[in-house]
Amino acid sequence: MNEMASERLLIEACRSGDREAFRRLYELHKDRVYSIALHFSGNESSARDIVQQVFLKLFTRIGEFRSESIFSTWLHRITVNACLDEHRKQRRFISIDDQGGEEEGDENQFIESRVTIETDYSMIERSALVRRAVGRLKPKLRIAILLKYFEDLSYREMAEALGCSEGTVASRLNRGHRELAGLLEALRGDIK
Amino acid sequence: MIWNHVTKDLSAYVHGELTPDEARRIGEHLVGCRRCRHEYDEIRFGAEAVRELKIVSAPDSIWTDLEAALDARPDKKSWASALFPLPAFSYALAVLAIAAAIGFAIFRQQTPPATDTGWEVTRIDGAPAIGDQRIASRGRLKPGEWLTTDSSSRAQISVGQIGEVKIDPNSRVRLADASPGTHRLAIEVGRMEAFIWAPPRQFFVDTPSAVAVDLGCSYTLEVDRRGAGKLKVTLGWVAFEWKGRESFVPAGAVCLTRPDSGPGTPFFDDASTVFIDTLAEFDAARNDTEKMSALDALLPLARKRDGLTLWHLLSRTEGGARGRVYDRLTSLIPAPAGVTRRGVIDGDRGMLDSLWEPLELGDSSWWRLWKAPFPAPTARIETTTDNN
Ligand SMILES: [Zn+2]
Repeated sequence: MNEMASERLLIEACRSGDREAFRRLYELHKDRVYSIALHFSGNESSARDIVQQVFLKLFTRIGEFRSESIFSTWLHRITVNACLDEHRKQRRFISIDDQGGEEEGDENQFIESRVTIETDYSMIERSALVRRAVGRLKPKLRIAILLKYFEDLSYREMAEALGCSEGTVASRLNRGHRELAGLLEALRGDIK
Repeated sequence: MIWNHVTKDLSAYVHGELTPDEARRIGEHLVGCRRCRHEYDEIRFGAEAVRELKIVSAPDSIWTDLEAALDARPDKKSWASALFPLPAFSYALAVLAIAAAIGFAIFRQQTPPATDTGWEVTRIDGAPAIGDQRIASRGRLKPGEWLTTDSSSRAQISVGQIGEVKIDPNSRVRLADASPGTHRLAIEVGRMEAFIWAPPRQFFVDTPSAVAVDLGCSYTLEVDRRGAGKLKVTLGWVAFEWKGRESFVPAGAVCLTRPDSGPGTPFFDDASTVFIDTLAEFDAARNDTEKMSALDALLPLARKRDGLTLWHLLSRTEGGARGRVYDRLTSLIPAPAGVTRRGVIDGDRGMLDSLWEPLELGDSSWWRLWKAPFPAPTARIETTTDNN
């Protein structure tokens, strides 16, 4: 039985209200959804909210899911929307290391954060620096990058999840990676 | 030559989203365009940094909260229907499906893309062999297997999706590593011609006395029965490395390697025979006296274009000898501002890099940035024990 067929059966069971099937579906996807939410929002409490929103929506609307479409695409789209909604709800979000707020597109904040990263370089582990740098990307670039790395999607799948063209996916990933490189200048040489 | 910058396609290039033709076009462009190489380097660095992010397990309590939220909903129709169990058949199928889905998810996480099936080999002439099997027209070279050509046969190897290698007669090569992201051949003896369009540092060739590291290019590599080698670059760059000693070889240049001393000093192949012979004497010198005498003969022979060779000699000499190399180099090509004789003699890395720039061989920063720890040879090439 291939993955698509087995997933369809699992979803059929969910439609008829089988809670065990729901739990299985949740188990299959929860860690990746949580990881995206955590790295997107920068804090555990928002990440929990996002995961709950995603699966609540998923479970209550599973009847609307059209069996000819691909379940994972639907899940990714719900995840992206929940992340962006959470961002809109919080005018200022608190990043993972309590380093203070970030306003979208605020140039000064961007430069300031680069200085902070360089200063703390010797004290903070590498992955914490990367987490923090990702948290400083604009939400649209950030979500594109997280979706790419945690879900390993093709540009075509990403375009469907993000509701944009493949060209836009490519340009967001280009910008996102370049900005990350700028933020992480201090790490260059350590990450191979 | 197509000359449109490729910056907008670079992340797709890094993520393998392009067709082989598109990827090849971009690889070729990167070899010649400093601006796009810089962008590429930024994007690749950003992309590799993201790999530091790790999957975090969702806390168990989320499910409990989720169930509570579902139970608290006024419309519990979907849950209520759970009171009416599925027909047994459907339920059994669903359980199987769940097991299969979980199994698949685990399988997908643990299994790298199947590249260990090897690389395709196409016969060009004669009867090349993989192991002891002769190839009629096509075959597959799997990791650890040897491809052998006799005096009348030639073959072509497809290097995954990233390039092609032609194997000339009387050669013996082994596929050393084809795991994801790695492309590594070992050549024991013979001659090969490589054309690689992948980003730099993805294709390695082990020889008995040096590792050729592709920096985006095409080149030929010959190894004789004693394990001595000759690398000649026709496009782009190759690094020739062994035990901390490295040579950067641009198009038009050659680098020899010897079993006892590793990669020699690179030189342009249009240099005079006497210059090339004297350089070989320097590389083979066993003591300071021999070195100095070779250097004395060599330096006056150097042309401006031999700045490539002199620059490499700076890191292969010390003290007064290095000072004399510096003097000859800067008499041919003036040193940039900020570079001093004293600083170079003391081994100032920044000054060595600055001296590279006026050689006009391309910005040194781009290949330095690409330099990263590369995998050591997977195994030493054993001394030939074949009976034929
Ligand atoms: Zn360009």
